[in-house]
Amino acid sequence: MGLDKTLKKLSLRSPWLFRINAGSCNGCDVELATTACIPRYDVERLGCRYCGSPRHADIVLITGPLTTRVKDRVLTVWNEIPEPKVTVAVGICPISGGVFREGYSIEGPIDRYIPVDVNVPGCPPRPQAILDGVVLALKIWKKKLGLEDE
Amino acid sequence: MDTLLAILNMCIFPGGAFALLIGFFYKGLDRRVEARLQRRVGPPLIQPWLDMAKLLTKETLIPNTACKPAFLLAPVFGFTGMAVCAAFIPIPGVFKGLYNMGDLLVIFYLLPIPAMALMLGGSASSSPFGAMGFSREMSMMMAYETPLLLVLLSVAMLVGKSMAGGEWGAEFSLLKIVAWQQQNGSLGLNPVMIPAMIAYLIFLPGTMGVAPFDIPEAETEILEGPLLEYGGPLLALFQVTSSLKTFVVLGLGVAMFFPGTICDWWWVNLLWFLFKCVVLMLLSLTLVKAATGRYRIGQAFRFYVTVPTALALCSLVLIWAL
Repeated sequence: MGLDKTLKKLSLRSPWLFRINAGSCNGCDVELATTACIPRYDVERLGCRYCGSPRHADIVLITGPLTTRVKDRVLTVWNEIPEPKVTVAVGICPISGGVFREGYSIEGPIDRYIPVDVNVPGCPPRPQAILDGVVLALKIWKKKLGLEDE
Repeated sequence: MDTLLAILNMCIFPGGAFALLIGFFYKGLDRRVEARLQRRVGPPLIQPWLDMAKLLTKETLIPNTACKPAFLLAPVFGFTGMAVCAAFIPIPGVFKGLYNMGDLLVIFYLLPIPAMALMLGGSASSSPFGAMGFSREMSMMMAYETPLLLVLLSVAMLVGKSMAGGEWGAEFSLLKIVAWQQQNGSLGLNPVMIPAMIAYLIFLPGTMGVAPFDIPEAETEILEGPLLEYGGPLLALFQVTSSLKTFVVLGLGVAMFFPGTICDWWWVNLLWFLFKCVVLMLLSLTLVKAATGRYRIGQAFRFYVTVPTALALCSLVLIWAL
């Protein structure tokens, strides 16, 4: 096994999370920031860390229905994230628009513009569900790193 | 021969490789203990190594508008400074410090290099957040360097005065300071020096950039400021620098205030030194970080120019008067 492959295998245990708020009502963001991820249910045990810069991210968590006003900015930030990245849509809004569905200012669902790898439905999703979504994202990240055959 | 030994000291022991090993262990322990304090499981102890492995596999992106040489050199600059500085830290009973002196003033000049590397990298990245991080780092540095200088001065003056038999004097060789303390008792137990020691404990979170003083790299406000545009191996180098700095500032604290040894075996002394560093880290970094939020830059500045500066001055005046 080459050094590169060893490093990649180790890197699976250090996924850094980046949050994008695409016009969310903040419900999912509160779940991400205060319960699911760091302080209570502890996504840090998987080696995760919230990073502030899109340049450092491995897994992107997108919340919100993608409003017209924020669409271009979300796409810009998403494009700043280096490959391979895994996109997780948190909450029902990025999937279908949720309560904002068919609103005049809604551009979603988000997978019209961005390939979504994992959906975590809920309004807001339970913290356990978000953790499960991160674990699923890790499996997809493994595939994207080319470590599937083991 | 001396030069070769000095280079070995900077690259392998105690600077470079050894300091990196210990620094990463401390960082992992820090995150683990913080998690336990907040009643969660926390990452494994080897998490800093895993993070570094991840960053090494990632590509380095350089912004079009960045000043390329400065952007690439800044992390190297910080790393070199800290690797050299780590070699100046004496480990009581094990290592005497580079050129057998470990000069306090040299350490004082080398310590701000990582912060300067951050400022250089931040401003070279041409990102507005980098510029904001630059100005915040600058104000923080001006605030926390004053108490540090006063603490170093009070240590040097107390030892110098005693060595000169009550006359005016200052002793800046860390090795002699350590030797003096091994004969006359640790400075940390000396009532005159307690305010200075508290000032040093307060200085630690500021210089390490952890909560409540993680203002220059605030990830929720200015997207990690100077580090925003860094990714891949360059970011890993910044993390290595920060780990080395953890070792340096903790080692300096132990050498200045509690340099006692417990027996003649060097490896017992080494473990004892590392244990004292861990206690210092838990007291001044981990506990504080786990319990606090982030100050605004003005509040942090005001705090540093009043509380720790006043404490360190207190010690200085007491030494002068007694």
